[in-house]
Amino acid sequence: MKKRFFAGLAALLLMAFLSAGAEEAGTGALPSLKELNGKIIGVQTGSSFDKMVETQLPEARIEYYNNKADLAEALIGKKIDAIIVDEPVARLMSYETPRLTWLPEYLDTFSFGCVFAKNEQGAKLRDEFNAFLDGLPAGTAESLKEKWLAGDESRKTMPDPASLPATNGTLRVATEADYAPFTYVRDGRVVGYDLEIVALFCQERGYGMQIVNMNFDGILPSVQSGKCQLAVSGITITPEREESVLFSKPYFTGGTVAVVLRPDGAAAAGGRQGDAPEGIAASFEKTFIRENRWQMFLSGIGTTLLITVLSLLFGTILGFMVYMACRNGNPVANGIARFFIWLVRGMPVVVLMMILYYIVFASIAIPGITVAVIGFTLTFAASVFGLLKMGVGAIDRGQFEAAYALGYSNRRTFYQIILPQAIPHVLPAYQGEIVELIKATAIVGYIAVQDLTKMGDIVRSRTYEAFFPLIAVTVVYFVLEGLFAFGISRIRIGSKPKKGTQPGILKGVRRHD
Amino acid sequence: MIKIEHLKKEYDNVTPLKDVSVEIHDGDVISVIGPSGTGKSTLLRCINQMEMPTSGRIWLDGEEITDRKCDINRVRRKMGMVFQSFNLFGHWTVIENIMRPPMDLLGKDAQEAYDDGMRLLHTVGLAEKELSFPDELSGGQKQRIAIARALAMDPEVILLDEPTSALDPTMVGEVQAVIRDLATTGKTMMIVTHEMNFARAISNRIFFMDEGGIYEDGTPEQIFEHPQREKTRRFIRKLKTIELNVESREFDFPGAAQQIGTYCARNQIAFRTAGYISLAFEETVQMLLSGMEHPRIRAVCEYSEVTETAEWTIRYAGKRLDLTEETGDLGMTVLKGITSSMTYTREEDSELPNCLRLVIRKA
Repeated sequence: MKKRFFAGLAALLLMAFLSAGAEEAGTGALPSLKELNGKIIGVQTGSSFDKMVETQLPEARIEYYNNKADLAEALIGKKIDAIIVDEPVARLMSYETPRLTWLPEYLDTFSFGCVFAKNEQGAKLRDEFNAFLDGLPAGTAESLKEKWLAGDESRKTMPDPASLPATNGTLRVATEADYAPFTYVRDGRVVGYDLEIVALFCQERGYGMQIVNMNFDGILPSVQSGKCQLAVSGITITPEREESVLFSKPYFTGGTVAVVLRPDGAAAAGGRQGDAPEGIAASFEKTFIRENRWQMFLSGIGTTLLITVLSLLFGTILGFMVYMACRNGNPVANGIARFFIWLVRGMPVVVLMMILYYIVFASIAIPGITVAVIGFTLTFAASVFGLLKMGVGAIDRGQFEAAYALGYSNRRTFYQIILPQAIPHVLPAYQGEIVELIKATAIVGYIAVQDLTKMGDIVRSRTYEAFFPLIAVTVVYFVLEGLFAFGISRIRIGSKPKKGTQPGILKGVRRHD
Repeated sequence: MIKIEHLKKEYDNVTPLKDVSVEIHDGDVISVIGPSGTGKSTLLRCINQMEMPTSGRIWLDGEEITDRKCDINRVRRKMGMVFQSFNLFGHWTVIENIMRPPMDLLGKDAQEAYDDGMRLLHTVGLAEKELSFPDELSGGQKQRIAIARALAMDPEVILLDEPTSALDPTMVGEVQAVIRDLATTGKTMMIVTHEMNFARAISNRIFFMDEGGIYEDGTPEQIFEHPQREKTRRFIRKLKTIELNVESREFDFPGAAQQIGTYCARNQIAFRTAGYISLAFEETVQMLLSGMEHPRIRAVCEYSEVTETAEWTIRYAGKRLDLTEETGDLGMTVLKGITSSMTYTREEDSELPNCLRLVIRKA
């Protein structure tokens, strides 16, 4: 069993190595923007670039990806022909991944604005922010731009949000830290041009600042629902968005460009071409060592474990309690339970999470991790309920009758006779549900929780490399699943005594042989 | 000590118990017998309320246990039950099956429960199985443990619901031996069984159940030797009957022959005997019809599996008509050939006063 597991893992790694190494050099000259018409263009879900492509390149097919790292991988893997991003981002992408370059022609120009809720408080904060922007000396703005858009990471410093004196309260700032240089994670902290602007604003106005890193598609809803007071994440001001949120004055303007593969293979010498081992070592260094990124993986594992263990615990308790309420056929309890289970099991978990986060708990200041635990507690409770029903249903009716006939009460019959026999039936399925739970937690990035998968994504968004982050994440999931399986198998051994051994009840009893 | 009054048990589509009233005395060993589906097990299960009676009242030692306020769990501790399917607790060893209920429910300490448990295990001859799990035992062993488990609670009554029906025939004996010993200890027992000889041997009282109640209640001698009522008699002798009514001169003889043939086949009556049964009916009815304007004949054939004999009882209306006297008739000659006896009686106050009994000759 163990051997097979490691052999499988090794095969997986080997395959991934081979595919990572098997790259071919492109040839020819850089295409013009017009030539991209009719090709496949990748854009990020939730961005406004799809509209731009539709007008500029009407023949092109648009594909949606969740983050820049995926886009870059898709481009390198030739699944798509170009990526649409803003010029500063394109610049950084090509620093990180020399195989990528961008076309000089702008598809469009854009303005980034800070997002506020479309209500009284939002408008007030927006006005404050605009006043701050107006008061910003031109020199400051220029030096900011120069600092963040350059290639030198060591110069990119900003005030620590935690150190801001929160004399006027604390602002929660939604961002997706996946858009360097505007917003990204470095040394485990969210930094970037956008965030420095906000930090300067908070500093001036006496606000504390709490950065909430979430998926881009969650940013606007989180501001609308009041979970965050403002959002900066390289958000382009569009009329469509202005219908649902308020924008500040532009704090950054630039052009949108198409990123393509560098046609000249030789120019990619600094990339993963050339000596394979060296490339792998470099990738490894980039993924784990640089900026202490391994700490991000560790914190991701911690979060994933926390969500799993708490959901497992609460879900088991809740499922058990619901089962106990329904056990004697109370029609009201059964009706309610059946409805909720139908509801919880019927929808994709990711949708359930977003409904909980953005609708049910919209107006309550509640961390995403709590919502994740609540959501997975519900789904796991539904599973436990089903398992108990199945396990108890598998127990012969005669076991109940024999216990009742001896004079055991309904309750004692259940705990002393039925449950101990039902549990061994369902333990293997329970173990399976735990594995499902661990895997399911990978979606919590949608509600601003930085679990293992999300951390892998964040690292990928910096390195634009899929191999090590994804493999590392995969391996960790397997290890976690193995740990839980081991724990359950211990329970399974403990649940039924070995044949021929003396049961505990005989302890201290004088036996006559 | 157990008193049952107007007990009724009704399910959605059947009513196995219509109205049962009976008293069970201390020390009674009662076998409950009767055809299947007549509520034998239901009666037993209503007594310890494994089935809730639809109506009626039950007393145990003067306490009404059908009363809502009565704690049935406490009452059940005084009534052991042994099931057809054993129902030993699979997660416990044999000794735990026997020790735990008295410890859990009667507060016995472990040592006492163990000593009593081992004594019972010796009684049922399975002391060496104390640490086995139920799934390591044969059916007969399981049932003996189940009896020991019931006895460990030291109940006032033991209810045994077809204790040997699910057993391999080779194991019936060992379980019956245990029950037989138990019956001699003076413990009040009620046992549903299909084993007539066993029932007769261990009981001092038999309930024959039919028609939604206790159809006949008596000593084994009465029930097995001199049953007072018709259905008891038929059941005890294992009589199989068929009834045919002739109410027109245009009687459908081929149809009747068909019915008799089916009846004989179902009861595995020897081929030649079957032919005699059919022929005896046809000849007799033909003879009767020839002298009747408006015939009313009821013919009942009984076949005893025990003695393997068949007997026609043919009753008919009209003035005195004794066919046995008509010696010149060809049909009579035929009848004499296929019967071992023919008797005629006249019962004046009966609706069908003429009665002819024909015992079919053994083939």
